[in-house]
Amino acid sequence: MVRSQNAFLTYLLPVLAVCAYLFLYIPIIILVIFSFNSSDLPFAWEGFSLKWYHALWASNEIWHALKNSLIVAFSSVVLSITLGLLFVFYSWKNFLHHFFIGFYASLATPEIVIAVGLLSLFAFFSVPLGLTTLIAGHTLIGLGYVVPILQSRFDELDKKYMEASLDLGATEGQSLRYIMIPLLLPAILASSLLVFVLSLDDFLISFFCTGGSTQTLPIYIFVAIRSGATPIVNALSTVLLVVSSALVLIFSSLKIKKADLLQ
Amino acid sequence: MSSIKKIVAKESSFFWAVPAVTWQVLFFYIPVALIFLISFFRAGLAGGFPTATLENYIYFLGPSFFLVILRSLLLGLVNGILCLLCAYPVAYCLAIKINRFKNLFLFFLILPFWTSLMVQVYSWFFVLEHNGLLNTILLKLGIIQQPLHLLNNTFAIYLVMVYCYLPFMIMPLYSALEKIDRRVFEAAADLGATQWQTFIRVTVPLSMAGIRTGFFLVFVPSFGELVVPILLGGGKQLFVGPLITQYFLSARNPALGAAFTCISCIMLLIAVGLLYLFFKKYMGTTTAKGKI
Repeated sequence: MVRSQNAFLTYLLPVLAVCAYLFLYIPIIILVIFSFNSSDLPFAWEGFSLKWYHALWASNEIWHALKNSLIVAFSSVVLSITLGLLFVFYSWKNFLHHFFIGFYASLATPEIVIAVGLLSLFAFFSVPLGLTTLIAGHTLIGLGYVVPILQSRFDELDKKYMEASLDLGATEGQSLRYIMIPLLLPAILASSLLVFVLSLDDFLISFFCTGGSTQTLPIYIFVAIRSGATPIVNALSTVLLVVSSALVLIFSSLKIKKADLLQ
Repeated sequence: MSSIKKIVAKESSFFWAVPAVTWQVLFFYIPVALIFLISFFRAGLAGGFPTATLENYIYFLGPSFFLVILRSLLLGLVNGILCLLCAYPVAYCLAIKINRFKNLFLFFLILPFWTSLMVQVYSWFFVLEHNGLLNTILLKLGIIQQPLHLLNNTFAIYLVMVYCYLPFMIMPLYSALEKIDRRVFEAAADLGATQWQTFIRVTVPLSMAGIRTGFFLVFVPSFGELVVPILLGGGKQLFVGPLITQYFLSARNPALGAAFTCISCIMLLIAVGLLYLFFKKYMGTTTAKGKI
């Protein structure tokens, strides 16, 4: 029996999918090509050159922004993972467990509301804006991802291992250190990477929670675009693209390992 | 004494869970409550006891500000629909049709999701510029005689919004479509359904959870979007995000800004509620199952 083929599903849908991929990648590809441009104008092609990468390497401003971005990203990863892990592990048996839903709220709120709220909070208690306030904000955003991810993995786990360790005389701390952390490791690594990337890319919270003195990479690019971009931004964007693809590769290899662990 | 120590040791574990809760309350719930409070007080009150007032809310009674909120809601709604239309073919092909190189295609799908929003926005300038890619191609093909003004208008905002939010739609759709048991398709074919009928009556209803998740993931952040309207809209049309920013950062009038934030959030909540009811009534999986 010849099954009737629907033209839309058989031919048009794959074509549309290819178009969507082109839509996603054409701007990025042009951006990468233009980062090797020798022209002084960001959008006009002259010839091949690496001079903007040299300029990027020599730019103090960008190194400073990168340093700030990395400090904030690493601190918020460490803080949100530590707080999230302790919450998931120690709220298991008591009433704090119900607060779990409370962490979802920051995901469901438009980021600008959180940013404006944090700004008002810091202004109200006259906390000087800077790296510290930035870390506080990014850790909050991180918690919104870490707690749900860790909690769902924790709920899937068989609690027998933990109870067995407690029965055999381990303290709760030992049980966390030797049983739970190894079992949760794939989820911990995955959510660390996620928080790291989110913090590195974040613009809104950074825009509101830094005083004029502290600059992160997204803010640098934003200001550059508004005040007329130089081709250095092309080179910087290309480097950031390469970094994100490396992180995605690490992330997807983590997933494969997680699948191995389950088998 | 020892029993007290035991109780303390047993109960102290509870305190380890407190820091995360404190953080969430201090940096999320208190700021949100603070915004709500500020919105009821006059700005720049020098001395004297601050008294609650509704002035800030009365200031926003009028069609012009209502229009800003409606425009943002429309942006979220249209962006959600456009993303769904763009994302469904990709998610469908990837989850159901393709078997070879699936991981490679997935990698290229996840990559934009991890790319900095600022880089994504910046890359569009190369396409939309006065002598950018699109104008060059259209001029070469002879479709237009003069370069078009593609930047700083509503078209540019919508185009780049779809671009930036597409991954948020594709991911939930893909995971919903991938979960569908393949035997369902065979069953539908055996029972005499054509490919198209299977798609409309089986595949789409079964992926409805993904559609709903993706739609809200696009709709809610689009409503408060700041970067795209500022950089690509040229400030011609006001949206909620840029207006809130103006009140807080340039106009230095947090009281008015807070009131506007509250009004916007209430409108957003109403819109989300209506959308939820819409999904439940017209696109619920249960009614679709009933039809089959």
